[in-house]
Amino acid sequence: MGIPIYPPRIEDPLFQGYYDGLEAGELRITADAETGEWIWYPPEVIPGKPDAVLEWRAVSPEGSAYSFTTVIRSLLPGDHKGEVPFTVILFEPDDAPGVRVPGILVDAEGVEPRCGMRLRFRAVQAGDHKIAAFAPVG
Amino acid sequence: MMKGNRVAITGVGETPFLRKGEEGVMKMMTRASLAAIADAGLTPKDIDGYISNKYAGHGSDEVAFAIGAGEKRFCATTDSVGGTATSGQALQLAQMAIEAGLARHVLVPYAIQSTKPGGVYGFHAREPQKAGIEMPVGFFGQPTYFATMANRYAHEYGMTEEEQASVPMTYRAWAVLTPGAQRRDPMDFEAYRQSPMISTPLRAADCCLTTDGGGAYVVSAVEEARDMPHPVVSVRGLGLGFNNWPQGVLFTQTPCTYDFPGEASAKLAYAMAGCDPKDLDLAQIYDGFTISALVQTEMLGLCERGEGPRFYAAGHGMPGGRMPVNTSGGHMSGGYVPGMNLLIEAVRQLRGQEGERQVPDAKLCAVAGLGGNNHSTTILARS
Repeated sequence: MGIPIYPPRIEDPLFQGYYDGLEAGELRITADAETGEWIWYPPEVIPGKPDAVLEWRAVSPEGSAYSFTTVIRSLLPGDHKGEVPFTVILFEPDDAPGVRVPGILVDAEGVEPRCGMRLRFRAVQAGDHKIAAFAPVG
Repeated sequence: MMKGNRVAITGVGETPFLRKGEEGVMKMMTRASLAAIADAGLTPKDIDGYISNKYAGHGSDEVAFAIGAGEKRFCATTDSVGGTATSGQALQLAQMAIEAGLARHVLVPYAIQSTKPGGVYGFHAREPQKAGIEMPVGFFGQPTYFATMANRYAHEYGMTEEEQASVPMTYRAWAVLTPGAQRRDPMDFEAYRQSPMISTPLRAADCCLTTDGGGAYVVSAVEEARDMPHPVVSVRGLGLGFNNWPQGVLFTQTPCTYDFPGEASAKLAYAMAGCDPKDLDLAQIYDGFTISALVQTEMLGLCERGEGPRFYAAGHGMPGGRMPVNTSGGHMSGGYVPGMNLLIEAVRQLRGQEGERQVPDAKLCAVAGLGGNNHSTTILARS
């Protein structure tokens, strides 16, 4: 399996915390700083609360796959033929139900991806940056 | 709720649907508009209302100038996407304008140039969540988003490869009968399996076509339509459904990623029309992808929830089936002018103009339009 190489475009500082987390080996997502409610992806405005503040918090590295797909033909802009196939996972952390973090499936030779499969997060290098990856557990 | 059978679609027209055309959006919109106006037995001077589409990139001033129109008395722009805008919301605005006495003949033009530089998914690349989080892991492009929906759907309800294939095979069977459809080569299961895999489980055959083309229609009061050239095809039911999930989070964070607001739009449309799904003679369903088409088939009430794959595998949507679906090949085999070619086909079927593929004595047709976080159900009737 390949690894997609596509540097993140972080025009909005909202997303920097996510990549700071990956560099630190953590999966961090955003929460309402006051209530602790997970708010993901980070929006410019927390619904109904324009004065509220988001903060980054680490979530459990263990969770399950909401869904997946194995990309055979990458639709990313540019030529990415050499990077396929890879499997995208929509990962639900155990302690943030309903939140989904996209990443790639790794360490899964001979494992058929499926919804509900148990996974563990780790960050992997993709070119000059790190991306979220998930390895089967058990 | 609006009242049914107050307005009619009195003229329809389109350009050829091409894999790659030579003309831009404005020229295609103009050609389609002039064809629709002529089909209604009108001249451009008779058009006094316009519904623009914000994604077409051209306002009513440009269209009115290009067709050589008369005085403009009403204009509005749809604030939805895909089929919802063209086959649902534009009709709602047209009916409001006509019933309020603001316009007499309303033109709804649309065109798409899928092959223009930047690609069909350029708008997604501009969404900060996608550029910041999704694209770096290769999660990009609608076939990839909808593939994750298909896998989740199969996990919850079951869907074999043969059942999945039966959706595009159904639409292809209609396209074979349709002059002007982009893909008219017959497609059985083996041919389907030769189609290149894009993102599991979706093959190219599970995706809508790449099309350069335009379509347009004219809306008039039913009383006026009785004196116009064609049998009256009225808007008997119309419902719009919305959820408030922005497009940037729509494909990942909604509780069920394929739970489009189609049940809400269908409920409103059937209530306005005073009919049930069993009263329909045929349906046109926005088939961006196999998974979205079969889920909308369920939401329209053509089968039970979770039974879409079995509905198609049993041949119910095929020529001669009990509920013909996408009778000009839909967006997967006919052409992809979002929502527009489906609505045009519905009108012509209800007029009885479709020759070899005509559904016998078609009186009532539903048109489902999907726009991600919005959905429309339109029920057209031959009066």
